[in-house]
Amino acid sequence: LKCQLYTPQQCLHASAALRRASEEQRKEPPTPSSQQQFDTQQADPHPEQEAWGPQPSYTGQDGQESEDYESEEQLQHRILTAALEFVPEHGWTAEAIAEGAKTLGLSAAAAGMFHSDGSELILHFVSQCNTKLSDLLEQEQKQVQLGEAEKKPTDQFLRDAVEARLRMVIPYIEKWPQAVSVLLLPHNIPSSLNLLTSMIDDIWHYAGDQSTDFNWYTRRAVLTGIYNTTELVMMQDTSPDFEDTWRFLENRVADAMNMSSAAQQVQSTGKALAQGLMGAAVTVSNAEASRAAR
Amino acid sequence: VYRVFENVAEKYDVMNDSMSLGIHRVWKDILMHKMNPTPGTLLVDVAGGTGDIAFRFINYVRSVRERQLQQKLRHHQNLSWQEISKSYEEEKSNPLGDSQVVVCDINKEMLKAGKQRAQHLGYSEGLSWVLGNAEELPFDDNKFDVYTIAFGIRNVTRIDLALQEAYRVLKPGGRFLCLEFSHVSNPLLSRLYDLYSFQVIPVLGEVIAGDWKSYQYLVESIRRFPPQEELKAMIEDAGFLKVDYQNLNSGIVAIHSGFKL
Repeated sequence: LKCQLYTPQQCLHASAALRRASEEQRKEPPTPSSQQQFDTQQADPHPEQEAWGPQPSYTGQDGQESEDYESEEQLQHRILTAALEFVPEHGWTAEAIAEGAKTLGLSAAAAGMFHSDGSELILHFVSQCNTKLSDLLEQEQKQVQLGEAEKKPTDQFLRDAVEARLRMVIPYIEKWPQAVSVLLLPHNIPSSLNLLTSMIDDIWHYAGDQSTDFNWYTRRAVLTGIYNTTELVMMQDTSPDFEDTWRFLENRVADAMNMSSAAQQVQSTGKALAQGLMGAAVTVSNAEASRAAR
Repeated sequence: VYRVFENVAEKYDVMNDSMSLGIHRVWKDILMHKMNPTPGTLLVDVAGGTGDIAFRFINYVRSVRERQLQQKLRHHQNLSWQEISKSYEEEKSNPLGDSQVVVCDINKEMLKAGKQRAQHLGYSEGLSWVLGNAEELPFDDNKFDVYTIAFGIRNVTRIDLALQEAYRVLKPGGRFLCLEFSHVSNPLLSRLYDLYSFQVIPVLGEVIAGDWKSYQYLVESIRRFPPQEELKAMIEDAGFLKVDYQNLNSGIVAIHSGFKL
């Protein structure tokens, strides 16, 4: 029977993938076969039930249990991905998820599977972007290894990586402030912080060991500061193709590079972060003011 | 069971209020918030006799629809008068956004009481009243977005059949919601609850509705009903996925939810 094609390997695959929030999207390659499986399951529920025998949940065959579990996760991912195209219109809300479910042929009530504040949708999007960034950096690294491209200096590399990542937000930029505020809700902070730090780690990993005097934590903190402040600037930027944002980014990265040569680098990092936070606070309050004025 | 509800139909609402001290309204509101329906949803409320859930559904969907239309207006800053009046027309002609609720009950008296209540409260659109048995629903497959059964499933003789019927009439992606009295885990609360149930409720039944036996039956049926985890397993058996429950008032009442995926 078809269901027995599921090897223990794929079950392990499913449970391992579930543990790593930011790498969920890498499960996509095995999807085609499992999706087909799932669709045929939907089409003939009765023959399947007879094949499994009465009351499958009691017999609790491990193969079947994780198969259903995997399909649920896969289905949820598909719904969230479909919902993204409705975000510009409805925002990061349960309504966007309901519209997404409808495009997949499901009832809008399926949006009830998710939290009503749209948290899962935003987290899904962020993790998708992070995966895309990793793939992009991986490809670039391969090209350098194959000698097809030059190895970029650190500051250029960081600038390009942050720019590439921030550009993924541009289609949703209008509703992005809403997303950021939802990510800061207490029940979302663990997940959103996790995604942010793993992304920053990724970038530094691909940047490789350069001749900097930063220690590991400082590096992380500095890049996180650069990324967050640039993101905030981008939300307010009205220049063509966000030129001002990229110039801001360039300056911040240059500052960071210069800081490494200073003797009091730890103190400067603290100061820079404090300045970054001040800038962030000012930007957010300006955003609120301009939104209120609108 | 039929005769119990025949007797009870008229005084049903009054008894509900006095038995649960009015909290049943809160429970039903919570159920509606959990459902969070969007306009265009088709709801079937089984054993929904006097229409409590149905009316709440209509109110909810109406306000969501109003908010949607308002947001649309807000987004278009420079609207011509024509466009503004068109959107008002839209609001008047389609206030529910094509949402509909079908109230299904096995008991004619309950349906009659419900229809009267609807007329009295001014609900006309989006409501249908159908006579039917939860174990054998008179509907086609894959029809509804949401299936609710509030305080009705414990009166069904074959719960598994009712669950299977629920699965059948729901669309793929549809949601099953069940609001029902359940098992109290807290021992102190459990003692107080038992005391209240067996001493106070049948007395109220006699005083308000003139029917001790029906309310005795009610309290006993609550005790006989399977607890949360068991009901969850039964729902999963019917084929629902992502089945979960939420205890209200530490278990006096529980909302079970499942999806047809």
